[in-house]
Amino acid sequence: MSVTMEPAAPTDTRAPAAPAYDAPSGTAGAASGRPRGATLRRPTRLAGRVLLGLALPVIVLAAWQLAGRGGSLFGGVLPTPDRVWAAWWTWAFGAQGLGLNPYSGTWLANVLYSAERVAKGFGCAILIGVPAGIAIGWNRIAAGALDPTVQILRPIPITAWLPFSIAVFGIGPGGAIFLIALGAFYPIVVNTSQGARDVDRMLIRAALMMGAGPFTILRRVVLPAALPSVFTGLRIGLGIGWTAVIVAEMVAVKSGLGYVLWDAYYVGRMDVVIADMITIGLLGFLSDRLVLAIEHWALAWRRLQSHHA
Amino acid sequence: MGTVLFQNVSKTFPGVRSVRALDDVSLQIGEGDFVALLGPSGCGKSTLLNLLAGFDRLSDGALLFDGRPVTRPGPDRGVVFQEAALFPWLDVWNNVIFGPKVQGVPKSEYEPRARELLRLVGLDAFAEALPVQLSGGMRQRVGIARALVMNPRALLMDEPFGALDAQTRLSMQQLLLDVWETLGTTVLFVTHDIDEAILLSDRICVMSARPGRIVRTIPITLPRPRSIASLTSPAFVAYKADILAEMNVVHH
Repeated sequence: MSVTMEPAAPTDTRAPAAPAYDAPSGTAGAASGRPRGATLRRPTRLAGRVLLGLALPVIVLAAWQLAGRGGSLFGGVLPTPDRVWAAWWTWAFGAQGLGLNPYSGTWLANVLYSAERVAKGFGCAILIGVPAGIAIGWNRIAAGALDPTVQILRPIPITAWLPFSIAVFGIGPGGAIFLIALGAFYPIVVNTSQGARDVDRMLIRAALMMGAGPFTILRRVVLPAALPSVFTGLRIGLGIGWTAVIVAEMVAVKSGLGYVLWDAYYVGRMDVVIADMITIGLLGFLSDRLVLAIEHWALAWRRLQSHHA
Repeated sequence: MGTVLFQNVSKTFPGVRSVRALDDVSLQIGEGDFVALLGPSGCGKSTLLNLLAGFDRLSDGALLFDGRPVTRPGPDRGVVFQEAALFPWLDVWNNVIFGPKVQGVPKSEYEPRARELLRLVGLDAFAEALPVQLSGGMRQRVGIARALVMNPRALLMDEPFGALDAQTRLSMQQLLLDVWETLGTTVLFVTHDIDEAILLSDRICVMSARPGRIVRTIPITLPRPRSIASLTSPAFVAYKADILAEMNVVHH
């Protein structure tokens, strides 16, 4: 026999009030599961970590300073840290267009030139790389059509593209942006496609069961599921972007940190060269931190996962 | 009119050594019936469910749902997966409303229903929790609410409580009994747990493996509404002895 029941709309139900089935799992229950004392320990731990991290640079700088004679090492080739600092100060805050120092007061302008080019090229790489990666990872036809080309072009170093870039874009920022976009594109597309390939099949089935179409699944399931891999690609790509901008500016652009680097070397201003190198390092570090912060925000669900799993 | 009709359905998975997962299976499930597929792992019971869900295509025979051939997954057949398969980046509320939202159902229509279902499965206080913050049983309750919010014509459950500890499983079975009493949806329930099959269903289809076949259909006439207290009743134990004997035959 079979019990035939009138199917009722869920809204009409007079269900048992708040059934006491199983309880939430221990600490993971409510949204606030911060261990006690963490607020107290955190600042001291942070201070300790900063001190530990600063030890090596301080030792190196001190040794470098003490090894110098009359402000330089290796027979005048390498300036000591105090000279580098002085050079950077003039470069950053000196009066513009006066005296014999062509770099005086141009630091910020050059930082902005380079950063803008990285931002533009990196943005292009994201706009092309993420959709292409999702397509390659998700669709067999897209993978068959795009992946071989990507894999064959990928081993060509961006430095090898320099003559091509100058020939096509001439001397100017266009070539730099092209090289940055190209260099950052590869890690973004490769990691994104890997992430899209690895999406849990059950999540796709669940979305299909709930009536989601192909585009909805790509946007609402495949993209968020691939996001951790996408961010891995973004961070690697951004690093390559900074390499590309310096290479391009050294050869094919008349402004930016790469241009100053090569120009200062040419006229024997090693103090400016080193100040420039440190500037590039800092910018690379800060931009990576920025991407990391966005990742932290976008993947909050994943952070909880690794804590509780 | 039966809402589900398997007619001489076979399913072969191609490969170097092709696997015949289902062989000439016929099964009819009426409106509002609760049917359990019981059998050892590898007997094709999940394959049967996946065919009805539209995740796999049948190799032979016919499969009708509400009189129409099944060609693809759809919200008329809500599926509850073994490991819940919730979207880990969405909170409980957004997991539950995912279906109606992507189908373009107006918010005013799905919101009250989703809220009611969350209350029905006892999770109204956890709407903003992420799946990872929930226990296995709670996750599975979200999975049930997510399927029911679409007002499906049938609920397909693939060993939904198989991964839970014994105590949680009991409370989930009670919950499902309560929900089913209220909503009366057609249910196809896959399990390898004999107690679970007897407790929940109107009819048990016992399956054998390699190739997967339904070897026996046992109507369960235990009175409803049932509860986990039924697990120790004499009628229940008699059913269990019967099925154990059957499965013993199946295995040897």
